[in-house]
Amino acid sequence: MPDHADPVDPTRRRPLRLGICGPVGTGKSSLIALLCRELAGSLELAVVTNDIYTDEDARFLRSAGVLEVDRIRAVETGACPHTAIRDDITANLMAAEELEGTYPFLDVVMIESGGDNLTATFSPALVDAQVFVLDVAGGGDVARKGGPGIERADLLVVNKTDLAPYVGVDVVQMLADARSARDERPVVGLSRTDRDSIDQLTAWLADVLATHRAGTLVPVDPGPMAAHGDGVGHGHGHGHAGAHQH
Amino acid sequence: MHPDLLLMLLADARLPVAGHTQSGSLEPAVVRGLGAAEVPAYLRLRLRTVVTVDAGTAVVARALVDSHGAAAGLGVLDRAWAARTSSPALRDAARGQGRALLRLTERLWPQGPGATALRAVESPPRAVVLGALACDLGLPGPALARLVGYDDVQTVCAAALKLVPLDPAVVTGWVRDALPRIEEMAESVAGLSEPDQVPATGAPQIEVWAQAHAHTTRRLFRA
Repeated sequence: MPDHADPVDPTRRRPLRLGICGPVGTGKSSLIALLCRELAGSLELAVVTNDIYTDEDARFLRSAGVLEVDRIRAVETGACPHTAIRDDITANLMAAEELEGTYPFLDVVMIESGGDNLTATFSPALVDAQVFVLDVAGGGDVARKGGPGIERADLLVVNKTDLAPYVGVDVVQMLADARSARDERPVVGLSRTDRDSIDQLTAWLADVLATHRAGTLVPVDPGPMAAHGDGVGHGHGHGHAGAHQH
Repeated sequence: MHPDLLLMLLADARLPVAGHTQSGSLEPAVVRGLGAAEVPAYLRLRLRTVVTVDAGTAVVARALVDSHGAAAGLGVLDRAWAARTSSPALRDAARGQGRALLRLTERLWPQGPGATALRAVESPPRAVVLGALACDLGLPGPALARLVGYDDVQTVCAAALKLVPLDPAVVTGWVRDALPRIEEMAESVAGLSEPDQVPATGAPQIEVWAQAHAHTTRRLFRA
């Protein structure tokens, strides 16, 4: 369980660590760039990227000009993006701590996973909350297939909803599938061109940040295991869920 | 606690010290044309050069903590290691690995004289951290030197499985065949006790590769 207290000033909580994961190409980097554009005026932000090749996402974010370059750090994963966010989180923790040491006033450190598959989720020892990103172009049935991130990440984003007519996806149905896979957990159908969807996203983050600052945010493991059955992952993943609604 | 068990713990790739981010400079070597068939020779080259420096450094760190306890001056050893590791990229990578191992040391074994002595050094490399920790855990010098050699061989071989497609049994054969070379290397440094005795056996080609690797934007491994 992460220590929320700031090591220098225990009365100040360390920044919220927010994980962004999901399959390749669904728009994780674009989501982070969007959050930076929306929030950089009101919050102090930094980003850790995990990529196939070192720093492609970091370079994308740097070139987007949404944050000063030094606040975007890349971590190598040795072709093990899953390991770096789940089993051995050391490299990511060190990068987050270095950013928090250099910029002690940060509000949020976003950690972007390397694009992996539907089973990859963050360890709750690394992030306080996590967003799983899908997109409509990946197919309308992906949300229904489920998986730990889709079902139990703190937020599911179904991205690029504006593309739905061009890829033959019924976005209303896809969002309904996603909601039914997640019980009451939140889902945002997001498009850069849809102001209301962006507002839903930033409102969710503001809510999570407030909970973190209040000291009541309990990081939840979406788990790699299925939620239903007698597996040991069941109790943890499900047990905290009720306390984690917003 | 039997030292063999602690040795196994420290040698295990599952130790959470970001070992999966390292290739022992194999990635830049492969980029510049090193083929799979040359990896065994590359392992031997490393054992005779950069790994000898690291193993010697670790053994001396262990000996200094053994002799002087928490007052061991590991800063002098840190400088001796740095003088023998001329590539800034390799030094940065080794200090990063040192930070990772230090995190674990502070969580699991914070009380020992080695852990205390390490706090006086700014960002020590992995060899210094490992040597001081080995003293706290009661590992003998020769076992520590073998650990450094074994870890390097396995790091390169695990990266080889990612970088060049191979039958893993072939790669494990490379590890087996390197074991006598690890033993030779370990014997050559096991009796060292002073910073100025650390061998100056850098490998300019590996350091050039490591330096170039740090400046590429398309790498899989940190170093």
